[in-house]
Amino acid sequence: MQQLLENRPRLIGLPVLALMLVVWLIPPPGATHATTHEISLDATQYEYAPGRVHVNQGDRVVITLTAADVVHGFYLDGYGLERRVEPGVSQQITFTADKAGKFRYRCSVSCGPLHPFMIGELVVESNTPYWRATGLVLVAVGGMLAYLWLTGKNKSYQEVISGK
Amino acid sequence: MRINTSRTELVALVSVGLIVLGLPAAALGYQYWLRPATAPTHVIDIDLRVPQDGGFAPEAITVTMGEPVTLRFASLDVTHGIAIGPGLGVDLGHVDPGQVKEITLTFDHPGTYTYYCNAWCSPDHWRMRGTLQVIDPDNPGFVPPAQSDPMIQALIVEGVDIDAKHEEGHGHDDDPALEITRPLSAQHGADLLDSVTLPDEVIDPLWRRSHAPTQALELLGTANPQMTQADLIDVVAYLWTADTAPETILNAQVLYNKNCAACHGQYGGGDGPAADTTAENPVIFADPAFMFEMRSDVLYAKIRRGGMGTDMPNFGTLFTQEETWALVEYLWTLPVQLANQGEE
Repeated sequence: MQQLLENRPRLIGLPVLALMLVVWLIPPPGATHATTHEISLDATQYEYAPGRVHVNQGDRVVITLTAADVVHGFYLDGYGLERRVEPGVSQQITFTADKAGKFRYRCSVSCGPLHPFMIGELVVESNTPYWRATGLVLVAVGGMLAYLWLTGKNKSYQEVISGK
Repeated sequence: MRINTSRTELVALVSVGLIVLGLPAAALGYQYWLRPATAPTHVIDIDLRVPQDGGFAPEAITVTMGEPVTLRFASLDVTHGIAIGPGLGVDLGHVDPGQVKEITLTFDHPGTYTYYCNAWCSPDHWRMRGTLQVIDPDNPGFVPPAQSDPMIQALIVEGVDIDAKHEEGHGHDDDPALEITRPLSAQHGADLLDSVTLPDEVIDPLWRRSHAPTQALELLGTANPQMTQADLIDVVAYLWTADTAPETILNAQVLYNKNCAACHGQYGGGDGPAADTTAENPVIFADPAFMFEMRSDVLYAKIRRGGMGTDMPNFGTLFTQEETWALVEYLWTLPVQLANQGEE
C-alpha cells in the first residue's frame, strides 16, 4: 500500500477528494431535520426569563409567553411578531426561525420606568457553510501535506524525522 | 426727549402682570371652565394608577340621570383595563400609559355602578375599583337600596356557611374522600346515559344547582347498582356541564381570564402568577375531587360575596347575576373534558 502510494503519489488525491465530498454533502448531526423548540418565556418587570434563546435556522419555535406582574408585550425584531400578555393568561407564539442572526425581543407595552430596557435576544444559528468550508480547507491542507510527504519534496524534514 | 418714566414702568408692569398671571389663568380657565361649559356632554377625567399609588382619581363620581356623561380614562403608570358594571356591558379593554380611552354613557335610572380595573396591574390590583353613583335630579338624596340576592338569602336560611371550608360544610366529613382515578369525560357520560336510571332529583337543574355532585353520585349509585363508580362519575360530569350553551361559556371564559385567572390560573390549576400573594392558596377548580364536593349555588355566593378570609375579592358589585351563573358554569368545565357539542 505504502509502496503503491510512494510510486504514484497523486493517488492520495482520491481519498482526500472523497473525504471533501463527505464533509460538503453529509449534513451535520442534529440538523438533519428541523426540531421544535418549546420555550416558556416569562415576562416580569423588567426582564424576560430566559433572556437569551438559542435555536437553529429552520427550527420551529413555540413560545409560551406569560406575564408575572403587569401587562407586558413581546415584539421580535426581524420577524415582526407582536403579542400582548396579561398576567394569568398565557399566549402562544409559533413561528419558523427561517432567518439566521441575532434578533432582539423587547417589551412592546409600556410596563414601567425601566420598560425601554426590557430586552431579550433570540439567536438563530445557521453558519453551517462556514464550518463546512473550514472542514474542506483542513482536509485539503492535510491532503497536500500527505502529497508532499510522499513525493519527498519536503525531503529535509523527512530526513530529520527518519534520522538519516 | 423726556420720557415719563413712571408711566412707562406702569405699562411694563401691567404687561408683565398680564403675561405672568393671565396666561396660566387663560389656560386653566379653558381646561376647567370654558371646555366643560361648552362640551356637549359632561366630561369627567379619571386618572389610573396602581392602587399603592392611589388607584383611581377620582375614585367616586356622581352623575345625573338623563345627562350624557363622558368618562375619559388615562393611565399614568402601567397598563390597566377598564370595565364598568354590573349590567352595562362596558369593557374598554386595556388602557396603556399615555393612552386615553373614553366612553359616553346616559343613565336612565338612579343606581350604583363600579368602574374597575380588569387587567392585573399590581399585587393590590383587586382593590382598584371606583364607584359611579347615578342620582335623580328631582330627588338627589335617593339611593336605591341594595337588592338582597335571593340565592344567597336561601343559603343563609338553609344554614350553609359559605365562609367555611368545604370539607366542613355539608356534613361529608365521615365519607371517605372520593377517588377519581381518570380524567372526567362528559362524552363518556353522555354515551352511558341510555343505560343509566336517572333519579328525578338528578334530572332537575335546580336540584343540581343546590347540591354537590357527590350527592348526585350517591343517588345514582343507589339507582344503578350495576354501574361502576368511575362510569357514574362521568355521568355526573356530563349532567353538570350539559346545559351550557357554548357562547355562554365563551363569554364566561373572557370574564374568567380577565378577573380570575391571575390567581386561580388560566386552566383552574390555582397556579396563576398572583397565587402566592393571597392569604390562602386559591382553590383548584381543575381538581375534580374538590369540585365534586362543591355546590353551584355556594360557588355563586362565594364569587358574589368574596371575603372568606382568603383575599378573594367580591364580584357582586361588578357582575350581574347572569354573568356570575355563567362563570359558575364555566368553572364546571375546568375539571371536565367536555362532550362534543355537535353530537347533542
